[in-house]
Amino acid sequence: MTSIPEPLPGARRAGVPADARRRREFSVFSGLSHVALAIWALMVIVPILWTFLSSFKTNTEIFGDPLTMPADYSFAAFGRAWDKAHIGTYMINSVIVVFFSTAGTMLFGSMAAYVLARYKFFGNRFIYFAFVSGMAFPVFLALVPLFFVVKNLGLLGTHTGVILVYIAYSLPFTIFFLAAFFKTLPTSVAEAAFIDGCSHTRTFFSIMVPMAKPGLISITIFNVLGQWNQYLLPIVLLPGNVEDKWLLTQGIANISTSAGYQADWASLFAALTMAILPVLIIYIIFQRQIQAGLTAGAVK
Amino acid sequence: MSNADLNRRQMLRRIGMTALVAGPGAGVLSACATGGGGNDAAPSQAPKGATSPQNPFGVKADGTLEVVIFKGGLGDDYATQLHEPMFKKKFPQANIKHVATQQIAQTLQPRFASGDVPDFIANSGTDLMDNAALQTEGQLLELTPLFDAPSVDDPSKKVRDTLLPGTVETGLIQGKPYVLNYVSVTYGLWYDVKLFEKEGWTPPKNFDEFKALCDKIKAKGITPYAYAGKNASYYQYWMILISAAKIGGNEVLVNIDNLADGAWTAEPVKQAAAAWAEIGKAYMPKSMEGLIHTEVQTQQNQGKVAFYPSGSWLENEQKKEIPSGFEYGIIPTPSVTSADKMPFEATRTVAGEGYIIPAKGKNTPGGLEYARLMLSKEGAKGFTEKTGNLTVVAGAAEGLSLSPGTKAVLEVQKAAGQNNVTFSSFEGWYKELETELRKQTNALMFGRISADEFCAKMQAKADAVKKDSSITKQNRTA
Amino acid sequence: MRQGKYPFIVGFLAVPVILYAVFVIGPYAQAFYIAMTNWRGITANPQFIGFENFTRLFEDEVFWQAVRHHGLLLLALPILVIAIALFFSFMLNVAGGSKGGTMTGVKGSAFYKVVFFFPQLLAVALVAVLFQSIYRPDQNGVLNGFLALVGIEPVGWLTNPNLALWSIIGVMVWQAVGFYVVLFSAGMSSIPRDVYEAAALDGAGRFRLFFSITLPLLWDTLQVAWVYLGIAAFDAFAIVQVLSVDRGGPDGSTTVLPLEIWRNAFTYSKFGYASAMGVALFFLTLTFAVLTLRVTRRERIEF
Repeated sequence: MTSIPEPLPGARRAGVPADARRRREFSVFSGLSHVALAIWALMVIVPILWTFLSSFKTNTEIFGDPLTMPADYSFAAFGRAWDKAHIGTYMINSVIVVFFSTAGTMLFGSMAAYVLARYKFFGNRFIYFAFVSGMAFPVFLALVPLFFVVKNLGLLGTHTGVILVYIAYSLPFTIFFLAAFFKTLPTSVAEAAFIDGCSHTRTFFSIMVPMAKPGLISITIFNVLGQWNQYLLPIVLLPGNVEDKWLLTQGIANISTSAGYQADWASLFAALTMAILPVLIIYIIFQRQIQAGLTAGAVK
Repeated sequence: MSNADLNRRQMLRRIGMTALVAGPGAGVLSACATGGGGNDAAPSQAPKGATSPQNPFGVKADGTLEVVIFKGGLGDDYATQLHEPMFKKKFPQANIKHVATQQIAQTLQPRFASGDVPDFIANSGTDLMDNAALQTEGQLLELTPLFDAPSVDDPSKKVRDTLLPGTVETGLIQGKPYVLNYVSVTYGLWYDVKLFEKEGWTPPKNFDEFKALCDKIKAKGITPYAYAGKNASYYQYWMILISAAKIGGNEVLVNIDNLADGAWTAEPVKQAAAAWAEIGKAYMPKSMEGLIHTEVQTQQNQGKVAFYPSGSWLENEQKKEIPSGFEYGIIPTPSVTSADKMPFEATRTVAGEGYIIPAKGKNTPGGLEYARLMLSKEGAKGFTEKTGNLTVVAGAAEGLSLSPGTKAVLEVQKAAGQNNVTFSSFEGWYKELETELRKQTNALMFGRISADEFCAKMQAKADAVKKDSSITKQNRTA
Repeated sequence: MRQGKYPFIVGFLAVPVILYAVFVIGPYAQAFYIAMTNWRGITANPQFIGFENFTRLFEDEVFWQAVRHHGLLLLALPILVIAIALFFSFMLNVAGGSKGGTMTGVKGSAFYKVVFFFPQLLAVALVAVLFQSIYRPDQNGVLNGFLALVGIEPVGWLTNPNLALWSIIGVMVWQAVGFYVVLFSAGMSSIPRDVYEAAALDGAGRFRLFFSITLPLLWDTLQVAWVYLGIAAFDAFAIVQVLSVDRGGPDGSTTVLPLEIWRNAFTYSKFGYASAMGVALFFLTLTFAVLTLRVTRRERIEF
C-alpha cells in the first residue's frame, strides 16, 4: 500500500460538504495524532537502531553518552559473535524448526478449531476449554515433567521433539483465535457446498480454509514469531550436550550471559543485530503480501 | 537405561492420568526412580578397572567421561585445554565429552531427576544447583576417597595434605565432604593503586579514615564506593558479614549459619550494618542499584568509581577492560570499632568455586581421577595461568609471574596470617535466607531501611527457615 | 445431522488432541500432583503432604505481593494497550477518509503499520536486554540521556520501588501495541466503507465515527484482545527476570508469580511448593479467562 499525499480532507473527497467547524476539528486532531504516531514510531525505531549502532561501539562508548555515534565502524564484534556464538548454524536450526512447527500448528490447530467452532458433539466444550485453558498454564511448571515425556519418547535433543512440543504448546492460542474466527464465517457458503455433495473434509479444505485466509495468515504470523522467539522450551529440550542443534535464542542467551562475565558488550549487540535484522528484513519484504492478504481476504 | 521400557509404560499410564488417583505410593514420579538405586555413594553399574597407586580409583581406560563446566568468569579453557588433555594423556582411549553452560540448574536439574547425569560438574554461577538438596537426595558422591588418595605429585602424601588448610571443611555437608572447592578466593575492597598514588590517597584502616577519604574522593567528582545492586548485592553483604566477624569474632558468622536465636540481631551485626549503611547513604549514587557487576567494574576501570567490593576473581574478569596505567590493589575491610576482636589485617580467604561428582554417574572413578588431576601441581599451576585465579593447592603458584592484583592478594593473605574470617555456609545451605539477605542488603545500602530494621528482617527470615520443616537443617561447630 | 459427521470430527481432532495430551496435559497433570508433595526436584522420593503447600501459600507475604502486582497488571496492561492500539489503528485505517472504495489511514499509514509491528518481532529476552540500556539509571541510559538534554536529573526507572513496576508495564505495552494494531486493523478494514459514508453524510466527525461505528463493530475483537492481554498480565516472567533489580526488586516491588515459581523451583529446589504456586496461578488465570469468555460467548453455529 503506497501512501500518496492527499491535499483534501477525506470527508470532502467522499463528497460530503465540510463546514468550518469540522475542518478546524480535523486540523487540530490530525496534527496531534500525527505527532503521536511519529513519537511512537521513534520509540520503536530508536532502541533498535541504538542496538545496531552499539555493535560498532567500544565498551567505553557503550558506557558513555548514549546519544553519541560510534567512532569507528568495524565489524570485529560481528566476527566475534559469529565465531563464538555460531549464529549462522543456530539461525538455520531455528528456521527448520519454526518452519515445520508452524506448518504443523496451523494444520492441526485449524482442523481442531474448525471442528470445535462449528460442530456440536458430546465433549466439545470440554475439549475446547482444555485447549484454551492451556494459555493459562505457566510453562516452566511443566518443564521437568515435560523433559521426561520427551526423553521417554526418545526425542530429547532432537529437532523432532522440539517441533512436536512447539506444536502442542501453540495449539491453545491458535485454537482460541481460530475458533473465534471460524464462528464468524457465514454458514451459507458451507451449506451450499453440502448441498453440492461436498464431504465435511472437502468443505473444510476447499471452502472454509480459503474463506478463513485472513485469520489463518495472521495466526501463522503470530505462531512464527512466538516459536521463533521461544526460549524456555529449547533450553530444556536441546540441552548443552547437543550444542550443534541449538536454536538462535539459546545462542543469544548464551552470548548474553558470557557478555556479562567477559564484558564483551559489543559482540552481544552484534549478535542481537544479527538475530533481529533478518527477521526485520523478511517482515519488511512480506508485509505487503501480509497486509494485502489481510485486506483481500476480508469477509464481506 | 535398561528401564526404558518400564519408563515408557509408566509414562503412558501417566498420560491416562490414572496415576493422579493412584495415590502417593504409586507416585507419578516413580519413573524418575529408575535412574539409580539407593541413596548411597558409588553405584554398582560404574565400570571399574583395576586399581593401582597410579590409578587409585580404578578408572576404566576406555570409559566415557562427561565433564560439565560452568562457563563464567573463569571461562572453560582451563578444562578443554588443560585438565581434559591431562586426563586424555593418562587414559588415551578415554572418550571425553565436554559441555559448557551458563545455566547449570536448568541444564542439569532434569538430568539429575532422570538419572542420566554427567561425571563431573563445575556447579557455579547465578543458576547453580543447591548442593545441600542434591546431597539430601543422595545425588552427590562423597569425596573422602579423593582427599585420602595419594597425591599425583608425591604418592607418599594424601591429596588432603597438599591443600590449603580449611579447603576440605568448606565442602562439608552433614559433616562429610561432598564439594571440592578449588579456587582460593580472597575478599576485600579493590581500588586502582595508580589512581591513589597520583591523588596521594592512602587506603583507610578504619571507618573514620574510610569516610574521610570518601569525602575527598567525592570532592574530586569520583564515586567513592559502589557495588552493583541489580545482580550482585551479595558482594555487599559479604562486606557486612566480614565486618561483623571482625567486630565480634568468627562465632558471629557461625551463629548465623546455625540459625541461632538472635544471631542477626547481635550487636556486631548491627554495628557492621550501620557502618556500611552510612557509606551507602553518603557516598553511593542511587543509580548503582540498577547496574550489574560488570558495568560497575567497568566504571571503576574508567576511573569513575574508587572502591569496589569483590573477590579475587575481579582482575581476571576485567582483564580486557583494564586500561594501561590501571593497577588493581586490594585492602581488607576497614575496622569498624577500635575494640574489634580481629585486627584490620584480617581478611576472608576461602576455597570457592564448587566442583561436584554425581553419585549416579556412569564413570564415578573417572570423575574422582579428573578431580585428582586438577589437584596436582600441574593442574593447579596451569589453572592459575589460564584463569589468573589462585587454587587451593598449596604452593602451586610458585614460580609463576603474577599479575599486580594477584600479587596484592598474596600480600594481603600474608599480612592476615591466622586472622582469617570464616566462610558463610548459610549461603549454600539456606537459599531462601540468602535471597532475603540480597534483598535487604539493597534496601539497607540504598537507604530504605535502617540497620535495626535490617537485622530484624533478617532475624525474622532466619526464624522462618528454622521453623520450616521442609528445609533440612545443617550445623557447624567452627 | 449429516452422515459421517462423527468420523470426521474424530479424524480432525485426533492428532491435535493426542499431541496436546502427551506434551501439555500430561506434564501439567504431574505438576498438579507434585503440588501436593514436598518434592525437591531431584530424585524420586516425594512425600505426599496433601494441601500443606497451599495453606503455606496463604501465609506467604511474597505470594500475596506478587498477586497484587498481577492485579495492577491486569488493569493497566489491557487498558493502556487497547487504548493506544485502537487510537493508532483508527488513525491508520479510517481517519484518512474514503479513497478508491475503502477507508484509508492518514498520511504515512503504510510506514507506521510496518514500524509499529517491529517490537513483536523481537524475542522477549532480546527486548529485556534492549531495555536494560534504555532504562539505565545513570545519565548514560538512553531515556535519561534524553532527559538530560532538557535538564532533568536521571530517573531511577527500575531502582525506585514506586516506579519500577510501571517501567516494566511500559516495556510490555511497548511490545504489545504492534500486535493489537494489526489485529484491530484487520477488523477495521473489514468494516464496509458505506457504513462510514452513511455516517459521514449524517455529518459525523471523526470522534463520532470512531465511537459510534468502529468501536461497536470491533467489540468482539476487543474482547478477544482483553482476554489475551489479561493472560499476558499473568506472565511477565522474562521481562521481570532480566530487567528488574535483584530479580523482582527493589524490595520485591516488581515480583510476579512466575518469577516466584521459578525461584522456588530452581533456586530453593522446592518443586512441591513451586508447583502449588503454579496451580494457584493457573486458577487465577483460568478464572479471569472464563469470566471474560462468558461475557463474550456467542451463538454457536450448527450445520
